[in-house]
Amino acid sequence: MSLAVSDLDRPSLRDRLTGLVRTRPAAAADRSVVLLHDVTKTYPNGNVALRDVDLRIPEGDFVFLVGPSGAGKSTLIKLLIRDELATRGTVLLDGQDLSRLPRRQVPKVRRKIGIVFQDFKLLPTKTVWENVAFALEVTGTPGRRIRPAVDRVLALVGLTAQAKQYPSQLSGGEQQRTAIARALVHDPRVIIADEPTGNLDPLISWEIIQLLLRINELGVTVFMATHNAEVVNALRKRVVALEEGRVIRDEVGGGYHRQD
Amino acid sequence: MIRFVAFSIRRAWQGFWRNAVMSLAATATMILMLLLLAGFWIIQSGLTAGLQFVEQKVEVVADLNDSVTPTQVAAIEAAMHAHPEVSDVTFVSKADALASFRATLEAQGEQDLTQYLDTNPLHPSINVKLKDPRVFGTVLDDLRASDGVARDGVKDIHSLVDNLLTVTNVLRTAGLVILLVIGLIVLFIIVNTIRLAVFARSEEIEVMRLVGASDAFIRWPFVFEGAFVGILGAAVTLAVLAVVADPLGRFMFDFFRVLPLHFGSLARDLVLLVAGAGIGLGVFGSWLSVRTYLIR
Repeated sequence: MSLAVSDLDRPSLRDRLTGLVRTRPAAAADRSVVLLHDVTKTYPNGNVALRDVDLRIPEGDFVFLVGPSGAGKSTLIKLLIRDELATRGTVLLDGQDLSRLPRRQVPKVRRKIGIVFQDFKLLPTKTVWENVAFALEVTGTPGRRIRPAVDRVLALVGLTAQAKQYPSQLSGGEQQRTAIARALVHDPRVIIADEPTGNLDPLISWEIIQLLLRINELGVTVFMATHNAEVVNALRKRVVALEEGRVIRDEVGGGYHRQD
Repeated sequence: MIRFVAFSIRRAWQGFWRNAVMSLAATATMILMLLLLAGFWIIQSGLTAGLQFVEQKVEVVADLNDSVTPTQVAAIEAAMHAHPEVSDVTFVSKADALASFRATLEAQGEQDLTQYLDTNPLHPSINVKLKDPRVFGTVLDDLRASDGVARDGVKDIHSLVDNLLTVTNVLRTAGLVILLVIGLIVLFIIVNTIRLAVFARSEEIEVMRLVGASDAFIRWPFVFEGAFVGILGAAVTLAVLAVVADPLGRFMFDFFRVLPLHFGSLARDLVLLVAGAGIGLGVFGSWLSVRTYLIR
């Protein structure tokens, strides 16, 4: 199976946002953005966080990752962003084997991922606009390309009016939308969201979910770890359930049966 | 490349002012530490120069007979100049000796009793300065054997010189050790202060890593920022030293005049030391501090 993917036949987010969606080639159907095979992660203290995990996320999918605290959700996400390396097995992101990736190539792979956290991780000394632009500036994007890109994603998440405000002046939902805009501005292949609604009240949580669904409709793969059973059960999307480091359930339209 | 440097400098400038409290605290620490370093360096230079001055004061004195003739004096002088160890030879006549004795008494505030003497009791002498107070060669023996030199007119100053040099060497080493210790303290405090300033922005570094910034894009703005802190700290330190130098120099004028201290080269070395230490430690500290976050 060849996992090498060229960017040529993939519509960019810009194309999708501007309606210039090119038709996807048929081969795209069996292409995985995320592929884990037989992955085990043991921490140096002997803690086994993941055992024999197999997971395949095709392009354009929307996948929930559920499970009780300590089930290995965070470890799985750390493996995907190559914050940690798998002890055994392979982790492929957009066809690239993360364990064989030279250190210098890591930043390039991270640009294919947009990461959203529960605690937003916005920089308090920068405005909304600057927080989003920051992701492009520090990856060496020329200034003339930054402005239109930032304006576009801010419009997408509905924060054009708040562009000049600082994170402390925003509501929690607005802060998370800023973080999503920052994750999107690179035109990533996949959005990885770690408990993005964990700090938000139910109504605002729904707003964030709606935004992620819209982004998914634009063709971006979304992989979201969550505790929010209500959202998971209502949406009937694909649900991957982890427990004690193993995938115990992986079904489309599944629910989240909380036992805690 | 140029764009990258411009980007780094712009980000460094922003980083400095947007975290003004931390940056200014680091700069203030830098200034105090550089002042400490410069102060001890000046003291060390003064000490070294003072010791050198004391060592140069070592002279071999040959008392001459009162009946010595100018021809004999000239012969001794010529013989001494012929020694490679000798740097200077001076003849002090009876009258010169009395004059300098009187001058010393006056300087010490003592009453001049010599005016009550009928005759001048002092002997003429030949004072021989050595290039290195440790290296006598055959100077002492040759002096003793010369015509016109009084019997027992040449004192053996070997042990005196040895004692003096022991003392000056201990002082010189102690000065150097203290300067080194101060240098290390300055190094650790500055590097630690910068570590704290970088730690305060570890979230910014984390975000940069997560959005896929390469190591160079994370590191260099911080290194340039460290250089800013160094340049600013060194500039303020040198300004303070320049302001203080004049009154301090006047206060210590007599001291400095006596010492073989070259003020021009001292000032130049001081500028190099302060600027070098400031910028060097700023850059080194930032590099080291950011490294902690990059190696994972």
